[in-house]
Amino acid sequence: MKADNAIDLVNVTKKFDEVTAVSEFTVAIKKGEFFSLLGPSGCGKTTTLRMIAGLEVPTEGQILLEGGDVSSTPAYRRNVNTVFQDYALFPHMTVRKNIYFPLKMKKISLSAAQPRVKRVLRLVNMEGFGNRLPQQLSGGQRQRIALARSLVAEPAALLLDEPLGALDFKLRVAMQKVLKDIQRNIGITFIYVTHDQSEAMTMSDRIAVMKDGLAHQIATPDEIYNNPSTAFVASFIGDMNFVHGTVLDNDGKTCVLDVEGKKVTAKRAVDLNNGAAALVCIRTERVQVNSPRSVENRISAELSRIVYRGTDYEATCRIGRAELRAVVQAVAWDAALRVGDTVELAWNAEDVIVFPREEEKDVIKYSVEAV
Amino acid sequence: MKRRISRPGEFIKGIPIAVWLLALVAIPLLFTFIMSFYSSSGLVIDRTLTLKNYKLFFTDSLYARILFKSIRLALAISVLSIAAAFPLAYMVSFKVRRGRNLLFMLCIIPLWVSYLVRIIAWRTILGNRGVINSALMAMGLIKEPLTFFLYNQFAIAITLTYICIPFVFIPVYTALEKIPRNLLDAANDLGANELRTLFNVILPLGLPGLITGFIFSFIIALGDYIIPLQLGGTQGIMFGNLVWSQFGFAFNWPLGAALGFILFIIAVTILGLTSKFGSTEGGFLGE
Amino acid sequence: MSSKRRASARGRGTGLKIYGTLVFIFLYFPMVIVLLFSFSPTRTIVGLSGLTLKWYQELFQDPGLLAAFWHTVMVGLCAVAIATVFGTAGAFFVTRVEFPGKGVFRALVMLPFLLPGIIMGLTLLIFFRNLNVRLSMFTILMGHVSFTTPLVMFQVSSRLLRMGPTYRWAAMDLGANPVQTFWHVTLPMIRTALIGAGLLAFTVSFDEIVISYFLTGTWMTLPVYIYGMMRFGLSPKVYAISTIILILSLVLITFMARYTGRSAETYRARKPDG
Repeated sequence: MKADNAIDLVNVTKKFDEVTAVSEFTVAIKKGEFFSLLGPSGCGKTTTLRMIAGLEVPTEGQILLEGGDVSSTPAYRRNVNTVFQDYALFPHMTVRKNIYFPLKMKKISLSAAQPRVKRVLRLVNMEGFGNRLPQQLSGGQRQRIALARSLVAEPAALLLDEPLGALDFKLRVAMQKVLKDIQRNIGITFIYVTHDQSEAMTMSDRIAVMKDGLAHQIATPDEIYNNPSTAFVASFIGDMNFVHGTVLDNDGKTCVLDVEGKKVTAKRAVDLNNGAAALVCIRTERVQVNSPRSVENRISAELSRIVYRGTDYEATCRIGRAELRAVVQAVAWDAALRVGDTVELAWNAEDVIVFPREEEKDVIKYSVEAV
Repeated sequence: MKRRISRPGEFIKGIPIAVWLLALVAIPLLFTFIMSFYSSSGLVIDRTLTLKNYKLFFTDSLYARILFKSIRLALAISVLSIAAAFPLAYMVSFKVRRGRNLLFMLCIIPLWVSYLVRIIAWRTILGNRGVINSALMAMGLIKEPLTFFLYNQFAIAITLTYICIPFVFIPVYTALEKIPRNLLDAANDLGANELRTLFNVILPLGLPGLITGFIFSFIIALGDYIIPLQLGGTQGIMFGNLVWSQFGFAFNWPLGAALGFILFIIAVTILGLTSKFGSTEGGFLGE
Repeated sequence: MSSKRRASARGRGTGLKIYGTLVFIFLYFPMVIVLLFSFSPTRTIVGLSGLTLKWYQELFQDPGLLAAFWHTVMVGLCAVAIATVFGTAGAFFVTRVEFPGKGVFRALVMLPFLLPGIIMGLTLLIFFRNLNVRLSMFTILMGHVSFTTPLVMFQVSSRLLRMGPTYRWAAMDLGANPVQTFWHVTLPMIRTALIGAGLLAFTVSFDEIVISYFLTGTWMTLPVYIYGMMRFGLSPKVYAISTIILILSLVLITFMARYTGRSAETYRARKPDG
């Protein structure tokens, strides 16, 4: 039932002249869900958020809020509120006046609003700051006031546009916990935009991974990590190996491929014919080095590089022309290994993901040329 | 956000300024342009269209000569203004640590001192019974007042330069302030002494500001008529005087309109140069 | 090697400082002269035979001058009021609406401020004569509105651009319709720019002679009146009124500096820090 959903996007498209920013986006966001829009810059996630907020009007499609069509309702009449990336706290108003603002627009008197303002200040742990001006607050404090201001009117959903982007690392991690706790305590629907995949993975109930206006996959973090639906999603989340392979034998349940002359078995349904060019993917932490455990795929390779990363080692190995990286926990690493040694790499058949070779162009690469 | 044409409804916001533009800029210019094709005989303005006024300007050497003289003087004034303002801006921007804001204000203040007051001041200084002459006579260096200070091009030049220096200072200072200081460190680190840094780093980067300042000064100097009237005497008749007198004693409005329109074209062309070659940041044209 | 470099840099530094000081003296010397002459009982400065306030007294006994002073104030206030309305409307138009040729439009609006006054003076004179409008306060006022409006528009649009669209979005997102957004959020945030621009426009208008001289009939502003006084030689009264104008300008600038300085501080704190 549409009315059970907090937000419904039905085939929402947004075009700016000839540029399509968002293309036929359809999703049903449930009440109380922590839903993230994840993707690189320019993928359309912020545009989508702005359309939900009412700051942009979709070119095609509908936006439903708790079952009602709000596609053409202006932002100031929609019951959703936004936390902006630069917080946008009104500099000429005190913290209290800032938070009171949405209630003032609803014609609620200051005295009637006071308890609600107090409550929301307590929620973000900023009691006592009522008379301060935004300029007098630190980044993290401003962020919490922006959050309080957007929550005080008790909207049907809260939209957050990369709210933690300006904070440094430790503060960001702390705020992630705060946001998640608040969301769970109040039970309000969060729609969260970020380009940081670990942030989305930690906090979300479901994620929509977007690129160039298209939603490649909308699923739980677990699904997205272990069963990415496109090569782009596979490359954007986590650390993934990509090698070229050719399909040798595909019986619908298991697929055997040829990688640099060696056989690789994938235990999943692959939609490619025999002989097709494929992209074979394995998570770097699933590749074991010289492991005694019995596992379907074993290939010898030559160690070409070893990088010590504190908690783990990243070992780059060559198999013919292909390169595979294995990430091994530091405690399990064999300190005797040297560059040039021959090692045996092993991984489970379930951990092999296969895509058509054409999807390679969507893969996010990290190399000097890519920069 | 993307740059695209707004919806038609948005253009309502533009009505007040469009009305203002029409009433005070566009239509007066149009009327002037039309009037430049009329002619005048005595006190009557003959409305038959004619190119007489423009022909007069291009054929009678008097007008061209005076315009040329004015352009030459304006160029000289601009050069002097830059010579005065640039070192000042350089000093305040690079050599002063504390009190820089105060110093900047002190350089700007002459701008806000009344234009007339500044003219009065120079008439006083340069006149026969003025400061220079009185001082020289009191010191016994001369018996008669020197007359070459006033009522000639020299007086116009010095007064206009005085007026223009703050106008040049602002864009030059703004441009110099924009030069990232670490570029100077980099130049120093790579072996350039101060003079070479000046020529290879500061001047090229500050050039748009210099051009803007030069052009502002040039336009002010070219279009001024009050200073030539007050301090120029018979030797110092400038193009501005010429235009003004058509609306005064000479009473030839159509000719005045034509001359004014010519001046308008010159000024607009030059201002157009600013937006191309000068600094538009902190300037008034473009975004 | 480095000490030699430092020495030469220092040397050039002092040469520059001397030159700079000379330019400074050149800039301020004339104003000091005017100041001194306004208190001197004789025409020459040599033999400063004591100070006198005689000339200032004569000022207050000159009805024409006093009238011109009030005229100037009136024109200034009216022009600033009109310029603020039109200039602010123009600023909102130019910063919020996109259309091709916007740069040209902005340049056109700036013309009365950038062009030599003689051009604006004569175009408006021809304009008014063609419409058979007599030269009076109205024509002078229109002249002043022509060059003050671009000033206001420039200042306000700069502030609007610095402000950015986020505050408006936030206001609308939190339930404010466009009118409420303007009144509660945008207007307070541009208030200092408006005041600063107003003061600036008033100062420019107060001093304006070039355009005013074209458009004046018998109703005169102060600069026009002083100019009239100057044609008959420099009576010391001129120095007295000049000094008064000098002081007034200084007062106005200090006000302006306070406003533009403070506002810059307030809105510099837009970026959230760590």
